Amino acid sequence: MKSKIPAFLIERTSVQPYVPSKGRLKKSFIEKGIDHLAEVIKSGYVQWETSLMDSIFHRIDARIKLLFLLFFVVIVSLKHQIVPEFYIAGFIFLLTLIAGLNTLQFYKKVLFLGFFFGFLVALPSALNVISRGEVVVPILHLSRDYNFWVYHIPAEIGMTREGLNAVSMLTIRVVNSVSLSFLVLFTTPFPEIIKALKVMRVPDSFIMIITLCYKYIFIFVKTVEDMHLAKKSRTVGQVNNAEARQWVGARIGSVFKKTQLRCEEIFKAMLGRGFSTEIRLYQSRKLSSHDIAAGGIFLVIGGLFLWM
Amino acid sequence: MHIPDGYLSPQTYGPLFGVSFVFWSVALKKIKKDLSVKQIPYLAMAAVFSFLIMMFNIPIPGGTTGHAVGGGMIAILLGPWTAVVAVSVVLIIQALVFGDGGITALGANCFNIAVAGPFVSYWVFRAVKGKSSKPSRLSTAAFLSGYIGLTVSALLVALQLGIQPLIAHGPDGQPLYAPYPLSVALPVVALEHLLLFSVVEGVVTLLLLKYFLKHEPDLIYSLEAQRTRT
Repeated sequence: MKSKIPAFLIERTSVQPYVPSKGRLKKSFIEKGIDHLAEVIKSGYVQWETSLMDSIFHRIDARIKLLFLLFFVVIVSLKHQIVPEFYIAGFIFLLTLIAGLNTLQFYKKVLFLGFFFGFLVALPSALNVISRGEVVVPILHLSRDYNFWVYHIPAEIGMTREGLNAVSMLTIRVVNSVSLSFLVLFTTPFPEIIKALKVMRVPDSFIMIITLCYKYIFIFVKTVEDMHLAKKSRTVGQVNNAEARQWVGARIGSVFKKTQLRCEEIFKAMLGRGFSTEIRLYQSRKLSSHDIAAGGIFLVIGGLFLWM
Repeated sequence: MHIPDGYLSPQTYGPLFGVSFVFWSVALKKIKKDLSVKQIPYLAMAAVFSFLIMMFNIPIPGGTTGHAVGGGMIAILLGPWTAVVAVSVVLIIQALVFGDGGITALGANCFNIAVAGPFVSYWVFRAVKGKSSKPSRLSTAAFLSGYIGLTVSALLVALQLGIQPLIAHGPDGQPLYAPYPLSVALPVVALEHLLLFSVVEGVVTLLLLKYFLKHEPDLIYSLEAQRTRT
C-alpha cells in the first residue's frame, strides 16, 4: 500500500541537528550557530548576575580593579619561574573566595580555557623535535635520524623535561591571566569597567562606542538567533552547502542593514535625551578609604610578586 | 587567531600596543576631526556588525563549518579607518568578556586583525577591481580581498609567535613565551589559512558583496569612494 505521508515529511533533511559521520555525530551549521549565539547570551547573563553580588571585593571601585588587573597581568607575563606563578594563582584563588564567587564554576571556565589555549596548544612543543633536552617520555622509535631543510627528526621521539617545563609555565601563565580577567569581570558590571578606562585617558567618545556596542551586541545576537531558529523551523527539504552559504551571505547582509537602520534610531534617541555635540561621561564617584586601602594592598602584594 | 595572554613577551606586546595606539588615534581623527554625536552610534553599530559576522557558521567542503573574521568586509563596506575602530572595539569586548584573546596581547591582536587585515583587504579590493565595474571583476576582487587580508593577518600572528623563542629565552635556551620557532609557526599557520580559513573569509566577503551589489550598491564605501574621486 502506498504511503499517504507527504514526501517532504519522509525526506531526510541536511539541516537536521546532527549528521552522522564515520561513527560520530556532527552538528549542522544552524545548530552550531544557535549554540554559539546561546553561549554569548549565557556569558553576558552570568557576568551580569555575578557582578551584581555583594562582597568586599565587589565593593572596590572599578578603577582600582582595572588597575589591579593590568598590573597583575603584566606581573604574570614578567615571571619566568613556575613557583611565583603558583603563588599568584593562590592569591587569585583567595580573592575569588573573598569575592564569594562560585569557585567550582569559576575554575571550570578558567581551567577549560587554560587547558585549551595553554596546555593543548603548547603540548606538541615539548617533543624533542622542537625542544632539545633530556627525553623523559619516549613516544616513538625510528630506525634512524632524518634531516630535511631546517628540520631535524631524531631516531627517538619523545617529550623532553625542558619542553614539559616550558609547557607547564605557559599553561599556568595562561590560567593566571584568564582567572585575573574573569575575577574582575565577574565582580564588576561591564559598563563600569569600560567607564574606568577613563583613568587611562581613553577618550570619552571611544568609551561610549564600546558601551553602546556592548549593549547592542546582546540585542542583535537575539536577532541573529531568531534568524537561525526561523531557518531551522522552515527547513524541511534538502539544503546543500552552496545554498547554505548563500543564506549565510544574505543574512549577514541583512544584519548589516539592520545595524545601519538602528544607527539612525539611536541617534534620534540620543538627541531626544538632550545630547549636544559634546560627548561627556559623568564623573565617577570619589575613591573611598576602602578603595585606597585595597589599591595599596594590591600594590604591595604585586611588588612582592615582582621581587620574588 | 586571537593571541592569548602568556604567549608574547613584553618586548613584543609593548611596542605593538604603541603601534595600535597610533592607529586608534589616527582612525578617530580620520573618521571625524572631532568625533560628533552622530558618529558614535555609527561606529558602535559597525562594531556590533563586526562581532555578529563571527556568529555565522558557514558549511565548508569536508562536512565541517568555519566562520569569517570580517575585518576585510567592514573595510570594503565602511572604509578601512572605520574598520580599525569597529574591529578594535570588538576585540576589546572579546578579551574582557569572553576571554577570547589576551589583555597584554590586545595591542598585537588589534594590529593584526583590526589594522593590517582591513587595510590589506581594502587595498587588494581597490587594486584588483581597478576601474572596472564588471561583476566578475568585482567578485574576484571581493574574494581576493577577504582571502589575502586574513592570510596577512594570520602570517603576522605566526611571525609574532615565531620570533618569541629567538628574542625571549632562558639561560638554557628554552623559550619563555610562545614555544614554536618560525620554522614551525609560519608553515602551520600559512597552510591552514591558505587552504581553509582564508577561503571561508574570501567566500563570505564575495557573498556579501554580491548581496549588496544586488540590493544596496550605494552602501558600499569602497565603490562610493572611487565614484566620488572620479
